[in-house]
Amino acid sequence: MPVLLELDHMTIRFGGLIAVSELNMQVEEGKIGSLIGPNGAGKSTVFNVITGIYTPTRGKVTFKGQNITGLKPYAITSLGIARTFQNIRLFKNLSVLDNVKIGRHCRAGGGIFGALTRHPGIKREEKTIAEKSLSALDLVGLTAKKNEQARNLSYGEQRRLEIARALAAEPVLLLLDEPAAGMNPQEKQTLMQMILNIRQTGVTILLVEHDMKFVMNISDCVDVLDYGCKIASGTPSEVQKDPAVITAYLGKEVG
Amino acid sequence: MEGVLSILTNPYYNQVLTMMGIFLIAALGLHLITGVTGQFSFGHAAFLSIGAYSSALMTIYLHTPFFLNMLVGGLLAALFGILLGIPSMRLTGDYLGITTLGFGEIVRIVFINTKITGGAMGLGGIPKETNIAIVYILVVLTVFSLYRIQNSRFGRALAAIREDEIAAETMGINVYWYKIKAFAVGTFFAGVSGALFAHMMQYLNPSDFGFSRSFDILNFVVLGGLGSIPGTILGTAVLSLAPEFLRFVKEYRMLIYGALMILMMIFRPYGLLGNVDLVRVFRSLRSRGAGKGTVSGDS
Repeated sequence: MPVLLELDHMTIRFGGLIAVSELNMQVEEGKIGSLIGPNGAGKSTVFNVITGIYTPTRGKVTFKGQNITGLKPYAITSLGIARTFQNIRLFKNLSVLDNVKIGRHCRAGGGIFGALTRHPGIKREEKTIAEKSLSALDLVGLTAKKNEQARNLSYGEQRRLEIARALAAEPVLLLLDEPAAGMNPQEKQTLMQMILNIRQTGVTILLVEHDMKFVMNISDCVDVLDYGCKIASGTPSEVQKDPAVITAYLGKEVG
Repeated sequence: MEGVLSILTNPYYNQVLTMMGIFLIAALGLHLITGVTGQFSFGHAAFLSIGAYSSALMTIYLHTPFFLNMLVGGLLAALFGILLGIPSMRLTGDYLGITTLGFGEIVRIVFINTKITGGAMGLGGIPKETNIAIVYILVVLTVFSLYRIQNSRFGRALAAIREDEIAAETMGINVYWYKIKAFAVGTFFAGVSGALFAHMMQYLNPSDFGFSRSFDILNFVVLGGLGSIPGTILGTAVLSLAPEFLRFVKEYRMLIYGALMILMMIFRPYGLLGNVDLVRVFRSLRSRGAGKGTVSGDS
């Protein structure tokens, strides 16, 4: 499988703190990759670097063979990387459908002139936006709530809406930041199936997740971060046996 | 009907309603910047003055038709909106507020010290071209344009910026550029409003466009309810008409006006129509009316 995303000696420093150090990582096309590690290990920072919110201090990010280091977030999104956020960042006062429509922003082109005239091209575009947005909502099972304001959704629904919004951008690579956080076991099961369905449509997925059972069940490969450094990498079963990972999570045996 | 006609022919009511319409256009422009996009602007009056002076000078010295002058006034205001936006749209919140406030003062002082604008003496001899019909046709056009803008890809992007800038940027919206575009559209309407003002008052003075004017317009937008076109219209109507209706209390007028503002802040902190979706209210009213007698105890 060809490599879709590659981090090459990526380092990011905030003042005196090295958040991520010399990280080498690859995500292969069509796979579900996971990034795990204890709290504060730098997982979300890695997502923020990939999506262009932070610019790395050193190193390179390559996507589809193209160097995307230092590109603006909106430019990276239009290249085909979409994401969700750990601390849900929906457009709370807008309708569920509008949230998803905004996710499709980078796949359309209507501007002020189009808005004022509503010429046939714009009408067609708006129709496509609505159709694609509805099918994204359908995929996460929120069609019935499309006219609801986003802030009135339950926590689990908000997480799913974030996924729908990201999918509306028709990404090649989907980054999910703790999608299962705060969900009950049943919701987690549904989510897992949903992620597998999304992969079926040809989208590559990179997860940050704390729920080990979830990660181990769904991932093709796992990278482990601790204090900003990669300490292990491999298939779920390889990683689970790795002594460095056990130490990072459970601590060293005394004596 | 007779009553409506007498209001339109009575010069006092006519003047009050015309001025209300003129400031409504400016307020709707600010509504796009502050209400929809969520960016503070404390210098909106400066853009009115740019539109007012440029159109008035064109009318006086170039004798070009009024509508052309008004359009140029709007476009010039938008141009300055873009020029101000390029450096200041990198700022947020308070810092943006202070920058726009400073810009407003700079423009006022430039007009005071420029010969062609008559300086502090003011600019007189502007022919009267504005009337209540023109103003309200333009109000309708403005409402129509803003409604279409808000319900488009462009408008959704602006609302996304207000809700969460980082999420908006991650959804592929060039936040910086969209803020500048919103500023350009909003200041265009301010310029048009200024041109109407100039050709209504027939006399311009830089003191007409000071901070208090900017603040008045911001009040119109905030009082009605941020982000809502009906709210902006209501806010402008209430705040422009209240001082007129309160004339009978004479010197206590501004006192009551102030008290009204404080009551507003306490009881409707999000504005008169803030957090009210009119379409939804109408729908529920209609369904309640239809279901009368069958459903009870359900609100």
